[in-house]
Amino acid sequence: MRHFKAIFRKQFLDLFKNIELLMNFIIYPFIAWLMGTLASPNFDGVPPDIAEMLVAGMPNMVLMMATMFAGMGLIPNIASVIAEDIEKKSLRVLSMAGVKPISYLLGVGGVTFLISVFSTFAFGLIADLASARELLIFVAAMLSAVVASIFLGAMIGILARGQQAASGLTMPAAVVLGFGPMLAQFNGTVRTLMTPFYTQQLNAIVDYFVGGPAAAPLWQSFAIIWGNVLVLGILFAVVYRKKALAKRA
Amino acid sequence: MKTISMNNVHKAFGDNQVLKGVTLGVNSGEIFGLLGPSGSGKTTIINILIRQLTADSGETFTDAESHEIGLMLEQDGLFNRLSVMDNMVVFETIYGLPRARTIEALEKVGLGDAQKTIVDKLSKGMRQRLVLARAVLHKPKILFLDEPTSALDPLTARGIYQLIRQLRDEGSTILLTTHNMEEATHLCDRVVLLHGGKIIEEGDPHEICKKYDAHKTLPDLEGVFVQLTGGKLQ
Ligand SMILES: Nc1ncnc2c1ncn2[C@@H]1O[C@H](COP(=O)(O)OP(=O)(O)O)[C@@H](O)[C@H]1O
Ligand SMILES: [Mg+2]
Repeated sequence: MRHFKAIFRKQFLDLFKNIELLMNFIIYPFIAWLMGTLASPNFDGVPPDIAEMLVAGMPNMVLMMATMFAGMGLIPNIASVIAEDIEKKSLRVLSMAGVKPISYLLGVGGVTFLISVFSTFAFGLIADLASARELLIFVAAMLSAVVASIFLGAMIGILARGQQAASGLTMPAAVVLGFGPMLAQFNGTVRTLMTPFYTQQLNAIVDYFVGGPAAAPLWQSFAIIWGNVLVLGILFAVVYRKKALAKRA
Repeated sequence: MKTISMNNVHKAFGDNQVLKGVTLGVNSGEIFGLLGPSGSGKTTIINILIRQLTADSGETFTDAESHEIGLMLEQDGLFNRLSVMDNMVVFETIYGLPRARTIEALEKVGLGDAQKTIVDKLSKGMRQRLVLARAVLHKPKILFLDEPTSALDPLTARGIYQLIRQLRDEGSTILLTTHNMEEATHLCDRVVLLHGGKIIEEGDPHEICKKYDAHKTLPDLEGVFVQLTGGKLQ
């Protein structure tokens, strides 16, 4: 517990000193908020019919940013934190001091999760969902996706040879998971291909709210998201044990 | 019973046979110097002793759990964006120590007034001293110092020597590496000279100098080394 507390505090303090990381938590809600403002029916210079269309599509656009956050924001974040601590040998000093990899990962992942909770509620509020029930469903789906992203990002952080390599490795994952659902809106094949991925299902839940074309039963989307969490969790555990984080330190 | 020992240790990186049968022993409560030119395998020996590397063959023994060890390594692992104090608090929390101990350690290395400074903004010397404060925070049984005064000005280095002696007097066993022979002569109770993957000489640094009459040719151990290796220090 002491060890977890030490890492959590370190990571929390570091977050506010690390502009790049912090931006990843702020930029997506900010763009979502900006889109909300632009889509306001009273916005100067926007013809009323277009404004109306924008307003109708608003929750969808805002929540699309949430999907991108889960994919493109979080995965590189957690990967770079871990890769940096390995590369700078901080993790070695910590592990020599007796910190177990699991305490380290819970501390680092815990901060990411906590900040993601704030981002998630920001998205929920900006999207101005129709009911408390919708907000609850969104938060549940989003936080499940956050956990999946943390597993995936942590796995990449452990596997990567340094911070530079980590950012290279997260790129494809982030693009597929972050951009895929967006492309899927316009292309049926991409939609089919993206079905097994958690960010696509996060997006599908959003579609469910607005009655979009991809609307699938809620339980199905949640089942796929939790399936992702499970698979990534197991993969993470395998990497974690094989790579013996302490040895990589 | 030695506090640290190595017996006939071999270690290669690919074709590069770095250690070719190293045997050494460190007594409890002494300052032990591991001397050799850069690339001779000093850091490799430390990494083996702190169990971050495994030797290809031979036995090693370090009479301490990893959390009873204090470390000052080339890559210091400091959290660059955090302040001096916040870096220390991470380890204070890990070890469950009172704040007073952290302040004491910082004051000991002369960083009492720099608590709020961000590590990135520290000079090289201050950074080294912070690493030393972190290394001694939990009053470790054994201290491994890898080139503790490299790239430091002589005055800062002298401050660090004083601290190292003080730590020994408080009961820590200290193994340090250096390629600075003069430093070793003045600081260490015992030294070994590492060359070509083997220990080529060992003992009290002043005795060794006398044995090779080195104080008359080149200053101190440097002269011994030149004699022993035929002048090829690098
Ligand atoms: N991880 C490693 N992989 C490959 N070669 C290494 C590694 N670590 C050290 N070496 C090589 O081993 C030799 C000794 O290195 P080192 O122990 O760092 O020497 P010193 O600390 O005395 O300067 C050098 O030739 C170095 O290139
Ligand atoms: Mg070295």
